[in-house]
Amino acid sequence: MGLLAAGIGAGIVALGAGIGIGMIGKGATESIARQPEASGDIRGAMILTAAFIEGVALLGAVICILLALGIGQ
Amino acid sequence: MIQTLRRVFLTLLFLSVSTSNTFAAEEKEGGSPLDVMGTVADHDYLKIPHFINGGKIYLPRLIFLEDAEGNTSFKAYLSTKSAAKSDYFEVVDEVLVATNGGKIAFDLSITSHLMYFWFGMILAVWFTIAMSRRYQKGVGKDVEPKGTLQNIFEVLFVFIRDDVARANIDDHKADKYVPYFFTMFMGIAFMNLFGLLPWAATATADLTVTATLALMTFVITQFSGTKDYWGHIFWFPGVPTWVRAILTPVEILGVFTKPFALAIRLFANMLSGKIMIIAILGLIFIFAELFGTVGAYGISVVSVTLTVVLYALKVFVGLLQAYIFTLLSAVFIGMAAEDHHHDEEEYHVEHVS
Repeated sequence: MGLLAAGIGAGIVALGAGIGIGMIGKGATESIARQPEASGDIRGAMILTAAFIEGVALLGAVICILLALGIGQ
Repeated sequence: MIQTLRRVFLTLLFLSVSTSNTFAAEEKEGGSPLDVMGTVADHDYLKIPHFINGGKIYLPRLIFLEDAEGNTSFKAYLSTKSAAKSDYFEVVDEVLVATNGGKIAFDLSITSHLMYFWFGMILAVWFTIAMSRRYQKGVGKDVEPKGTLQNIFEVLFVFIRDDVARANIDDHKADKYVPYFFTMFMGIAFMNLFGLLPWAATATADLTVTATLALMTFVITQFSGTKDYWGHIFWFPGVPTWVRAILTPVEILGVFTKPFALAIRLFANMLSGKIMIIAILGLIFIFAELFGTVGAYGISVVSVTLTVVLYALKVFVGLLQAYIFTLLSAVFIGMAAEDHHHDEEEYHVEHVS
């Protein structure tokens, strides 16, 4: 049961993080194309925002690992 | 160019070979070769090449022992083995427990992750002090910086000062935080990169280490908070009073979630990188069980190549996470230390426009 939950959870985590980081990438590349001279600032903001999403996603991933390894049962 | 490529290739080859050696050695010691948690967990010994001293250097145990009568005493031993030889402790399932009805009140033992934390921090401090001596002598101030190390140092330091500290904190306050950010960046970067060496452990793949680092940022953030920062937490300007009833708990919660997310992010990134490499190398053993030796040799080509790529990625991720930790620390401290030069009306106009 824990394994099943971990598998489904990891999938949902990847889904959410993928959508989030994809949207960041979309926004960043569009704004760099519109304003190439601001690419440095945009890249910084992009990494920062991606780090926030990644943090949440990895929190989910860690919980999935804990479930799969049966820690805390 | 070709020479550089060759050097990179040889380095990667060396890394891949030494990693597989580590895992092969682990398999020989008995137990499952896929001991994922054993590889990332904290130990009471340092791993070294297994032909020296059986592959382990035991670390001291420092324990506050509470005996059956409730008296607390401090016990120090050179290793877990010598602790188990004494009257107070014994080893059960490779874990040290107290005997005679006592219990371990507080375990201050030096562990492998703590050692690598110290190694990282000592390297960072040594690097910075060695470079600052050169600047005091005038190299880099009067003449150009000399040598690879000093050039790397100058690039990194100017980057931390300009793009991390000064970009996020008010100009007249930024410079006093630069030493903290630079120590943090170098220390975390060294700790992350230590994890890539064979036999070494990643100190940052331990929640206690990252939580300690985040706690430092938390304390500095609170102490550098201006009147305005506390005002925004407890009495948010420019909103109706009933909204404040919702906002104040959320803001107070936000004070604690920021460093918490900081700790979890670094921990999870380093841990997942390590587990990923173990999982991919573990495919070799799974295939060996399922399809025999031929299958294992077949998959090892894929596994080892993938591991080499992952190693290169992990170098990048290690530096990136050190940067992100420093950057977010700077953002949080900058938000707390910011001076607002406006009253409530201006605040509205700023946010509506």
